Amino acid sequence: MNLVLGALLTALAVGALSAVAGLFLPRDVRPAVVGVGVAVSGASAVVAGAAAMTGQAAALVLPDLLPLAGVLVTVDALGGVFLAVTGGVAVAVGIYGIGYCRQHGLDARGVQAVLPLFVAAMMLVPVAASVGTFLLCWELMALTSLLLVIAEHRSRPAVAQAGRWYAVMTHLGMVAILIGLLVFAAHAVDGSFAALRLAAPGLSPAVAGLVFVATGIGFGSKAGIVPLHAWLPRAHPEAPSNVSALMSAAMVNLGVYGIVRVGFDLLGGARDGAAGWWWLLVLGLGAVSAIYGILQAAIGTNLKRLLGYSTTENMGLVLVGVGAAGMFATSGDVTLAGLAMAAALLHLVNHAAFKTLLFQSAGSVLAATGRRDLDDLGGLRAGMPGTTAAFGLGALAASALPPGAAFVSEWLLLQALIHGLPAAGVSAAIVMPLAVAAVALTAGLAVATFVKAFGIGFLARPRSPQAEHATESPASMLAGMGIAAAACIGLAVLPTLVLPTIGAVAGASVGATDPVQIDGMTIRLVGVAGALSPLMLTIALVVGLVAALAGVRVLATRRAARAARLWDCGAGPLSARMEYTATSFAEPLQRVFDDVVRAEQDVDVTHHDESRYLVQLVEYRRRVPDRIERKLYEPVLAVMAAWGRAGRRLAPGSVHRYLGYGFYALCGLLIVLVVTR
Amino acid sequence: MSEALYGQLLNIAAGALLLTAVLILWRRELASIIDVFALQGLALATLVGLIALQEGSAELAVVAVGVLVLRAGVLPWLLRRALAGAGQTRRETRPLVNVVSSLLAAAALTLLAYAVSQPLVALDPSPATHAIPVGMAVVLIGFFVLVTRRLALSQLVGFLLMDNGITAVGFLTTAGIGVIVELGISLDVLLVVLVLQILKTRIREAFGDTDIDDLRELHD
Amino acid sequence: MGILLQLLIVVGLSPLLTGMMRQIRARLEGRAGAGIGQPWRDLRKLMRKRPIAPHGTTEVFRIAPLVLVATCLVVAAAAPFVTTASVLDPVADLFAVVALLTLGTVALALAGIDTGTAFGGMGASREATIIALVEPTLLVAIFALSVPVGSTNLGAIVTSTLNDPAQVFSPVSLLAAVALIVVIVAETGRLPVDNPSTHLELTMVHEAMVLEYSGPDLAMVELASSMRLTVFLGLLANLFLPWGIATTGQPLLVAAAVLAFVVKVALLGACLAVGEVFLAKLRLFRVPELLAGSFVLGLLAVGASFFLA
Repeated sequence: MNLVLGALLTALAVGALSAVAGLFLPRDVRPAVVGVGVAVSGASAVVAGAAAMTGQAAALVLPDLLPLAGVLVTVDALGGVFLAVTGGVAVAVGIYGIGYCRQHGLDARGVQAVLPLFVAAMMLVPVAASVGTFLLCWELMALTSLLLVIAEHRSRPAVAQAGRWYAVMTHLGMVAILIGLLVFAAHAVDGSFAALRLAAPGLSPAVAGLVFVATGIGFGSKAGIVPLHAWLPRAHPEAPSNVSALMSAAMVNLGVYGIVRVGFDLLGGARDGAAGWWWLLVLGLGAVSAIYGILQAAIGTNLKRLLGYSTTENMGLVLVGVGAAGMFATSGDVTLAGLAMAAALLHLVNHAAFKTLLFQSAGSVLAATGRRDLDDLGGLRAGMPGTTAAFGLGALAASALPPGAAFVSEWLLLQALIHGLPAAGVSAAIVMPLAVAAVALTAGLAVATFVKAFGIGFLARPRSPQAEHATESPASMLAGMGIAAAACIGLAVLPTLVLPTIGAVAGASVGATDPVQIDGMTIRLVGVAGALSPLMLTIALVVGLVAALAGVRVLATRRAARAARLWDCGAGPLSARMEYTATSFAEPLQRVFDDVVRAEQDVDVTHHDESRYLVQLVEYRRRVPDRIERKLYEPVLAVMAAWGRAGRRLAPGSVHRYLGYGFYALCGLLIVLVVTR
Repeated sequence: MSEALYGQLLNIAAGALLLTAVLILWRRELASIIDVFALQGLALATLVGLIALQEGSAELAVVAVGVLVLRAGVLPWLLRRALAGAGQTRRETRPLVNVVSSLLAAAALTLLAYAVSQPLVALDPSPATHAIPVGMAVVLIGFFVLVTRRLALSQLVGFLLMDNGITAVGFLTTAGIGVIVELGISLDVLLVVLVLQILKTRIREAFGDTDIDDLRELHD
Repeated sequence: MGILLQLLIVVGLSPLLTGMMRQIRARLEGRAGAGIGQPWRDLRKLMRKRPIAPHGTTEVFRIAPLVLVATCLVVAAAAPFVTTASVLDPVADLFAVVALLTLGTVALALAGIDTGTAFGGMGASREATIIALVEPTLLVAIFALSVPVGSTNLGAIVTSTLNDPAQVFSPVSLLAAVALIVVIVAETGRLPVDNPSTHLELTMVHEAMVLEYSGPDLAMVELASSMRLTVFLGLLANLFLPWGIATTGQPLLVAAAVLAFVVKVALLGACLAVGEVFLAKLRLFRVPELLAGSFVLGLLAVGASFFLA
């Protein structure tokens, strides 16, 4: 029993106890006990994950727990990364949930009991070591998350529809993963991951490709990759905010975990050149998801939907890194592959930190104002200074600007892509510049999106009475946000603390040694030329700020500031309706990208009864549909509905007909049996 | 008794089984269908009794008596009681498939049953196993009756025919299914008959007749 | 001490650069012009005014000019303008420098939204669109520059060009240079993307965001925009025409490097000013076409660096 196993079992045990507590305790202490339990469980998981990342491994076999195969648990370095990330998110969300659930009426027995189970399931997925265990934990995670997503369905009907989409898509993904893993396991001795690893070199390229694509469909859908992303922007706005934070910051990572585990580890996709097209596919889909996700976020005005699309974008960037790592590894350059994988993993960790913070602040705003739409918010700085600061920090991190957290991981990713040009031949010569352009466009649009979200949502003057009367959240919610903010700041200024470990894990997964070296406060790349010091950059910025402030203080002769009216062309005080809204802010972008976005407008003009020349009422409706849903999902659903209608003709109500079906089937089978003897 | 005599007597019993099945397909009046069914029960009991005699098994002899009582006595009595309360329709006037086609279909099903049962017979060639195809044919003909008759009572008879056939195949293959299993199966069959009888009464009360096809009006 | 020297030059001489460009435009347009030192006189006047904080704005409005100046100072200190060896070498990465300058623009955009006026929002919205569309070109051009050198470190690129002067005349460099010129025009808000001397609010991009600033805040914003222009032109000059830069710390070499830097930036500024006289401002929705064209040039530069290597 080493540290890893002990901490993991503690985490699971505390989680189970919290679930039981959530079921039996009275209402007034339920959220507090469950929240603290989730946080302790998360902290324990962080310890387990960190210990696993530094090299300690652990294994556990429980043969009788599941029929036929038993439960196999193995904690290795790769699983440790995801375990630690899940644990960290759980700590922040657990504390946050104490105040949030009480405020929003989510302290019902069902929700409070299922929340720790969801966290526990997410901890078990990265450590499962056989097909049966993995699928069991995956399904547990899907079911518990579904129950949490529909937690508020009594108060809002849109929640039920979102829950249906989520349920169908997550189960279709599960079926795809099931098919892939079962095909794989059929070629191996048994279902354990060790046996699969041994069987992988013996698979034909077609079978290996089939396994990769099938599991890729399921895992990609979970990670929110286009075109299977449709559940993400529907489920996140309707779920309670602490659940959205858990899903976006911890659950979607497990989709990436699946792709890396199956592609690199089990199938050995980094070793032979025939697997090159897999990683090209991953990179392409990642790039498309990144651009499409951030474009929809830039155009959208629902705050939580915007954050959901931003998750698609960030997972797309992570998959660009994973795909690039695979491409480099299959063409022989493992050092560069290690660098690309390290960039992807670091971005995953950064995303978990800032997405948690963003969803927590969005939930805080929702709890205080009841409004989801950015066009109704604004002026929240006065009433909610803590939430405003938290969202601002998260937005800085999300837009990949220094000194934010995601800047370092995007820098690493760009370095990996840039140095890949000589390595992998003509395909790389075409793909790498396009990948860099995609990452760049994503970064630019992300800047625009988060300027919009932060500026319109929190600054200037309130656009609705609810925003005007917003008050700050309770202390537990602020504490949860504080934990996530501390993580963001730590990752931004001192990534040198976590990079060596993450780099080692990344290198090991593609078969290389450490791709980054830490030299004091500078990150140096191994094998290629490149160095960056985020700490020095932050210090230089702070020094520059102080210098500018000092300069002003010294040179400006008059000090006392005077308050004055804003320039209103002399016509009188400006009202809140004259402010720019999120829709108007995004309008130039929407026009530029009109081919992709295709907003739909309806204008209804009602005229007076007396004369057609006098207008009584003009109604304007504008919505931006998800174009991929429109083009891809609706035809598929229409075909299925047509099949269903055709199937009704099979049931005309005649008992004879129904009995006849059985008889004909039996005779047909017997004839086939005779003929094929 | 000697092998040859045993074989011949077994063939007669099996033949009687098949003949009664075809007769059920041929006859129109419900009363005569029930009588033929009772005769089939007798043939089945004879079959089991012959096997009991050959094996020298007292258990099988008890089972043979049980089969006689149930399938040639109790079940036809229940069916006649149901018929007595049936009302006007005592003839199957418009079967879905007319009689000539039904008989041709019965012939085809018998051939199918023979073709399908060849591997079973080849496994252990003996006088008993040579009669297995007959049992299969009875099952298929019973299913056919179930599918193509309009009146509920005829369908019930078809179902019971299937069960007779399955029992026959069971005894012929294993030379003894065991009392418990046979008891269980018989109890099942009894219950089915009783339940269907109750249902039939209810349907007749609601719709005045038990023509199944009238139920089509219930579909949306 | 190279850092201090660079800072002094950039802070001290950038308003003079702006003044020189305005003077050139004035003379070409047949006006007398206000003289090269006018921007310094404006700054001095603004510093003497009383600070004004409009109603309803938050700390973001007050901090944005400071952030803008701070980012320009950090880039001016880190980039190789006078010497190639810099203490801030781990910060002198081309991606980092570009991202820092974007941070400044973002701060200003947030300040524009914070005013709550329609003009502020409009300026911020247009600026955000331009930032989003300029990023691909910028990063791909950096990619093209880094391929012959194998690194994005500014010092390394400058040293490599010094050691191999023929590199400048390769198709890669020329294409990348043209792409970067378009990017610099867009980022610094010069014609044809934005007119820095317009008075019509509906044609403003950068000016609309700073409409509410006055006094010392406006002085900082004006200084910062001059510094940005100097920094961008300095980067263009030293990445493509690095001759004259000091590779060691010898005082004579450093003095010569200062002179070379001033001359190069002044020349580039003069060319830009002359070019602006002949150009009209593009409609906002024609700017993406211009940026797409420069993106294609950047992509060709990268392709050329691979296929012609």
